[in-house]
Amino acid sequence: MTDYVELHARSAFSFLEGSSAPEELVAACLNLEMPAMALLDRDGMYGAPRFHLAAKKNGIKAHIGAEITVQWGGDETTGRWGDGETRGHGDTKTRRHGDGEMRGQEDGEKRSTVSPSPYPPVPPSLPASHHLLSIPLLVKNRTGYQNLCRLISLMKLRVPKHARPGECAVTSEELAAQVDGLICLTGREDNPIADWRMPNADLIKNQQPRMEWLVDVFGKQNVYVELQRHFNRHEEARNQVLIELARRLHLPLLATNGVHYATAVQREVADVFTCIRNHVKLEQAGRLLAQNSERFLKPAGTMAKLFADLPEAIANTLDLSAQLGFTLEDLGYEFPKYPVPPGESMASFLRKRTHEGARLRYTGGSGVTPYERARPQLERELALIEKLKLEGYFLIVWDIIQFCKREGILVQGRGSAANSAVCYSLGITAVDPVGMELLFERFLSEERGEWPDIDLDLPSGDQRERTIQYVYQRYGQRGAAMTANVITYRGRSAAREVGKVLGFDDETLGRLSGLVHTWEWKDPKDSTARQFREAGLDLSDPKIKKFFQLYQAVQDLPRHLGQHSGGMVICQGQLDSVVPLEPAAMPGRVVVQWDKEDCADLGLIKVDLLGLGMMAVLEDSIQLIRDNYSKEVDLAQLPPDDPKVYAALQKADTIGMFQVESRAQMSCLPRLRPQKFYDIVVQVAIIRPGPIVGNMVHPYLKRRQGRLPVAYPHPSLEPVLKRTLGVPLFQEQLLKVAMICAGFSGGEAEELRRAFGFKRSEARMKEIEIKLRCGMERNGITGKAQDEIVQSITSFALYGFPESHAASFALIAYASAYLKCHYLEAFTAAILNNQPMGFYQPFTIIKDAQRHGLRVLPVDVTHSEWSCTLEGETGSGDEETRDAASPCPCVSASSLSPSPPVPPSPRLLLRLGLCYVKGLREEVGRAIARERSMTPFAGIDDLRNRVPELRKDELRKLATVGALNFIQSEKPMSKAQPSASAHRRDALWQVERVARPAGPLFETLHEADGNSPLAPMNLAERLDADFRGTGLTIGRHPVARYRDELNKLGVLRASELQALRNALVVRVAGWVIVRQRPGTAKGFLFLSLEDETGIANIIVAPQLFDKNRVVLVDHPFLLIEGILQNQDNVVSVKAKRVKPLSFKGVVTASHDFH
Amino acid sequence: MFASIYSSKIPAGVSLSDFAYSFSPLVEETAADTVVIDVDGCELLFGSAYQLAKTIVTSAASFPENGGLGCKVNVALAGNPDSSIFAARFFKGITFIAPGEELNCLGELPIEALGLIDPADPILETMKLWGVRTFQEFAKLPTAGVSERMGQLGVALQQLARGKTERHLKLRQPVPVFAHSVELEYPILLLEPLSFILARLLNQLCGNLEAYALATNELRLQLILEDGTLHERRLALPTPMRDHKVFLKLLLLDTEMHPPAAAIKAMSMACEPVKPRIVQNGLFMPLAPEPEKLELTLARVAKLVGPANLGSPELLDTHRPDAFRLKRFGTDGGTRRRGDAGTRGHTRVSSSPRPRVPASPRLPIPPSPLGFRVFRPPLRAMVETRQGYPTQINAWGKNGSVHGKVVQLSGPWRTMGDWWRVDGWARDEWDVTVVSQSQMEVFYRIYRDLAGGAWFVEGVYD
Repeated sequence: MTDYVELHARSAFSFLEGSSAPEELVAACLNLEMPAMALLDRDGMYGAPRFHLAAKKNGIKAHIGAEITVQWGGDETTGRWGDGETRGHGDTKTRRHGDGEMRGQEDGEKRSTVSPSPYPPVPPSLPASHHLLSIPLLVKNRTGYQNLCRLISLMKLRVPKHARPGECAVTSEELAAQVDGLICLTGREDNPIADWRMPNADLIKNQQPRMEWLVDVFGKQNVYVELQRHFNRHEEARNQVLIELARRLHLPLLATNGVHYATAVQREVADVFTCIRNHVKLEQAGRLLAQNSERFLKPAGTMAKLFADLPEAIANTLDLSAQLGFTLEDLGYEFPKYPVPPGESMASFLRKRTHEGARLRYTGGSGVTPYERARPQLERELALIEKLKLEGYFLIVWDIIQFCKREGILVQGRGSAANSAVCYSLGITAVDPVGMELLFERFLSEERGEWPDIDLDLPSGDQRERTIQYVYQRYGQRGAAMTANVITYRGRSAAREVGKVLGFDDETLGRLSGLVHTWEWKDPKDSTARQFREAGLDLSDPKIKKFFQLYQAVQDLPRHLGQHSGGMVICQGQLDSVVPLEPAAMPGRVVVQWDKEDCADLGLIKVDLLGLGMMAVLEDSIQLIRDNYSKEVDLAQLPPDDPKVYAALQKADTIGMFQVESRAQMSCLPRLRPQKFYDIVVQVAIIRPGPIVGNMVHPYLKRRQGRLPVAYPHPSLEPVLKRTLGVPLFQEQLLKVAMICAGFSGGEAEELRRAFGFKRSEARMKEIEIKLRCGMERNGITGKAQDEIVQSITSFALYGFPESHAASFALIAYASAYLKCHYLEAFTAAILNNQPMGFYQPFTIIKDAQRHGLRVLPVDVTHSEWSCTLEGETGSGDEETRDAASPCPCVSASSLSPSPPVPPSPRLLLRLGLCYVKGLREEVGRAIARERSMTPFAGIDDLRNRVPELRKDELRKLATVGALNFIQSEKPMSKAQPSASAHRRDALWQVERVARPAGPLFETLHEADGNSPLAPMNLAERLDADFRGTGLTIGRHPVARYRDELNKLGVLRASELQALRNALVVRVAGWVIVRQRPGTAKGFLFLSLEDETGIANIIVAPQLFDKNRVVLVDHPFLLIEGILQNQDNVVSVKAKRVKPLSFKGVVTASHDFH
Repeated sequence: MFASIYSSKIPAGVSLSDFAYSFSPLVEETAADTVVIDVDGCELLFGSAYQLAKTIVTSAASFPENGGLGCKVNVALAGNPDSSIFAARFFKGITFIAPGEELNCLGELPIEALGLIDPADPILETMKLWGVRTFQEFAKLPTAGVSERMGQLGVALQQLARGKTERHLKLRQPVPVFAHSVELEYPILLLEPLSFILARLLNQLCGNLEAYALATNELRLQLILEDGTLHERRLALPTPMRDHKVFLKLLLLDTEMHPPAAAIKAMSMACEPVKPRIVQNGLFMPLAPEPEKLELTLARVAKLVGPANLGSPELLDTHRPDAFRLKRFGTDGGTRRRGDAGTRGHTRVSSSPRPRVPASPRLPIPPSPLGFRVFRPPLRAMVETRQGYPTQINAWGKNGSVHGKVVQLSGPWRTMGDWWRVDGWARDEWDVTVVSQSQMEVFYRIYRDLAGGAWFVEGVYD
């Protein structure tokens, strides 16, 4: 305990104006035994939650405040500030800003209150004498906190996100209107008081009215004259003025150190940030940099010595600290209310909706839980919801679900919400927690003291945006906001920015930022010194060394505020008094200044509206099936045991299927051999870092295959672990294990999960482990069994899936598999229309679909829409079309030769959309489709005339990929080709003429000789053009072209590997479609090599990877020689030799996972 | 008939054009590795065109000392320069293309070769899309069609591919030399005889510059001394000039300031030719001295005070007290050319190696409440301290001395900077009132260099 409290500190959340994380400030405070501290970041409370939580943990009182930028409208000559006479800082001119046009106020108009509009207008242009000031405000009580939040929201929301400095400020009138509960400090050098640019005598005369204005506005007891001493001559001169003013007005003095960093050494980072902020190098920054390093957190003794002549300034810090009663514990957040019909309470309304829904879902049909069995669980949940007063929250989520249903938007709850029968009954989730015996406490528990978290999966794109906008519209701009995502300095961005500030040239900058490895697996031999040496940089060079120090120092410090992908906080119209709001970069969106974790820590309730690509695929597939098959698919009514689905899963034939298409999943599927829905739940959950790191995958698979007996760590755990053969695979199981073995309550078990969660703390983990062991001792579980249980809990809790979440995902996985197996055309079209998503590039998806018999048609301006569509098969006389539309052209070389026309059949073909033409703008693609729907194009001239926005390069691209091959020619080109250009070069010949302005005299004239003198593209050229123009080919696989040469080298096809015996030395070759080096794989690299028959899985050991790093990482085509491993029908090749292959004409990159 | 000479292996320091001049005065330097000569009229000297080609090949193979290139060359003879260039670049040895046979001969050349003659990237890209790979294939395309699609550039390129172009050679102009040298019959020791020689060289140099309507902003003088050493001087001029009298005076002043160590036995003079200064001053612009006169005056002053002490001081943007550098005088502000801003040997002075600070938001310089007289250099002091506070000062220096007891003080005022460099600095300043032996109170500013620990008296307050 000391006699001094620092009441004016800034963290790195002042974004480039402070260089310590809030936790570092608290740690320094703890080190100095300071009982309290105040954090006043610039125009925000971004760091307040972290500061509060860190302080709370260490028993320090965290005072909250902020430095507010105020647009001062005073008179330089009189110093009058903000009163009626001098307040007229408006003119009558109108000013356009953002989307709205706002009218300024007339001179002298009195504005005593904040504009009632949700976005108050920007104050009109100010005369030159008006300038910006920064006023530090400390929060005394909850009213003050709410006022401060509103002030910050006010200044932020009326300007766009990237507003220029000076645009983001409150006016003195706005400040004056909301000062209750706030303490004003007179601030630093940019404060309203004590402008040192004039002599002291004038200064006092000039500044006194300003100080009086502050006293008028805040009240005498709420204004403190702040003194800072940083060994600066001019600062001290200002202090003398301030002391004199304080004496005259009888105001208390307050010593602070205006802290910008926790320790003196962090001044360097502060200087670097100053340079980044001002876009200058250190060498050029001059006096923009700090004069010295004195703005660190100083001990009480040092501060007392500095203010030895003014002991009251030190003593007042303790007095003021004692007055500041507010902490973020007292946030005043209330749950949102849902409007219910007259005569209903939210509880009764929720109860009715829940039981209504439950009767529809719990029908007791085959395999469906009867309502009566679910009812006790529902009652238990409803009672807890009512007790915790969460009815409004559930009703709000229910309301969002209702909106989605009304609008036909596919929506499904995921995460722990699936543990709730109420959520299931309300239609929020799709998994029956009663039937699956899921643990409700994982979702909601009384003891845990935190609010439930409901995540909704929505189709990514427009549908999700519509839902978000509905929430804004429903709860008002100040009633709902997205959670923030704090972007921190990491990796390459940090290296580049620090390097720039230090003045490195572009080449060195490139090398320095290139040092930041992005592969997930970090080689333990990769020491920093080695990395630098390999990059040709000498760590003993002082400048490089300084770079490295600074690079490390800025790691994880906040850089700017982003927007979380889907988290929304809802607060029934008063959110801006709970947390400051600001605009997001995306128009129409508002974000809170806290991130997801901060919101959760401070008890702000949120709904995650997450975009899921596969939801969009499912939605699009259903629409395509409706339009083309005349069938209605209801995802809730899919046959639960479809044999085709399980057959595909057992064969790992899962490209494109949700969650089960990855390389790791594919290698597990033939071993696990799913036979029922719960197996898919297990499959989804088992390939996760938790089970992998906890060594639970192999025991489970071996027990499933009957190679190991089913055993339990303790007999009491049999009911919990029976479904997973004695191996814990889900988070709920671990919680139940803790509840059974150690007697934990549901809340305690959830606390255990959090202790081992993302924000791990060694001390807390140890504490929980002791509690766990004690509980187990009490229940007689000791020795090996105890260790085994503790081991599984500790290694698993972080990365495991909750069973409910896995079940929600498994439902989507099953739906995707069902659609792929039964409606391949629609599913493939939908997946191609929602790229990028999943593990594979469109090329691989198309090749896989072709191997399954799908016929794909090329991009064609006479048929293609912007998106991929389905067409009935009518047959085509064109060579290229037949080649392309072949179900498996990659294995049928004969398909390249002319064949008789295929008779019409009802079969559906997939038509590639114009969206796959690289470089074609969407509006142009859509314009082509729109124009064509009115009248077919009469020729390329006609196309160009009717779609004038088509640029020459776009026409060329269309011609190059063959999209203009079938366009009818206005003038027959020759007798042999009566009506259409036959090949791509014909079109290219025409395009060049059409795209060149001929002038008014000649524009209506056609070419005398319409015959193209150009030769058609050969197969290799077409392949090259396809890959360059669309990133894929529907013709032969590129590897197939080289099959003869590969055969001579003894290279096997991927499809041939399955039939070979184990341990055989084989050679495979193909295109690398996926590279993975997961963190859990100890440096092993996994490659997927695709050829015309399928995919070969390659495993590369770390030693081989080190030797062939460049080839393995960069080369698109590889020849691998290695040993075949065939275990339980999972075939892979363990590489022994690697050789690059030079196949030309393919430019599409692989999908690498770093 | 035109002959093209091409070699990709021309040794460094050997000029293909110079070699070509030995066969014809009409030489086009197409590229560093290709030249074209007009061989019409060379028959009397070299015989038939083929014999000329053989002579070129043979001569080229001989060593440079013997007038050759020291490497093998390709020589192609054709009716137009472009066809001969293509043939020389793509066919080894001697090629003869008879008139009308151009396409037959060049037809298989890759279409990209057209880019060597004409930068036709977009057209080449189109041809790549069309699958046109050779001159032959391009030549076959209908000219009207090509014209409609590629315009006149396409037609011109097609003519090139067909070998049907006609043009004159772009003859090479000899490069003017702005350097002269003289070897003296006997060594010169005195300035006066040197001035005559210098005047002669400068006359020639300035005459050359005038002939080409050029001026110079840099003069280089090399004196070879009797002891075998080289004495070099470089005069960077603030504006381009060509007045030989001014140059002579400047050189003489410079030589006076930097006399050679021994007698001069040879000298050479060169200059950097640049466009002359064309300035039209505004009617109401204040008159400034002519740059030539100012330069001369500065050189005279520099001779008196030393080049390091000439210029106008410029404060540096830093917290470091009193940091400045000397900016050279000039009349044209920021419009100086390369080589000025301190590059001239006798005016380059800077107290700090910092680069010039670009315009950026700057903090104002705070006014000092009192008048302050700075001791230059500061007085080295011995300071007694108690608990870190100065109590007694003793300092001596050329500008005076300070002795006495500190009776009043304020400070420390701490500044530190350049932490990212090895020469980072930090210091604590104190404002002290010292009572001298005569009981007079004087108000000084003292400081302590925190890196070295030494104390100094920086100045006295009025």
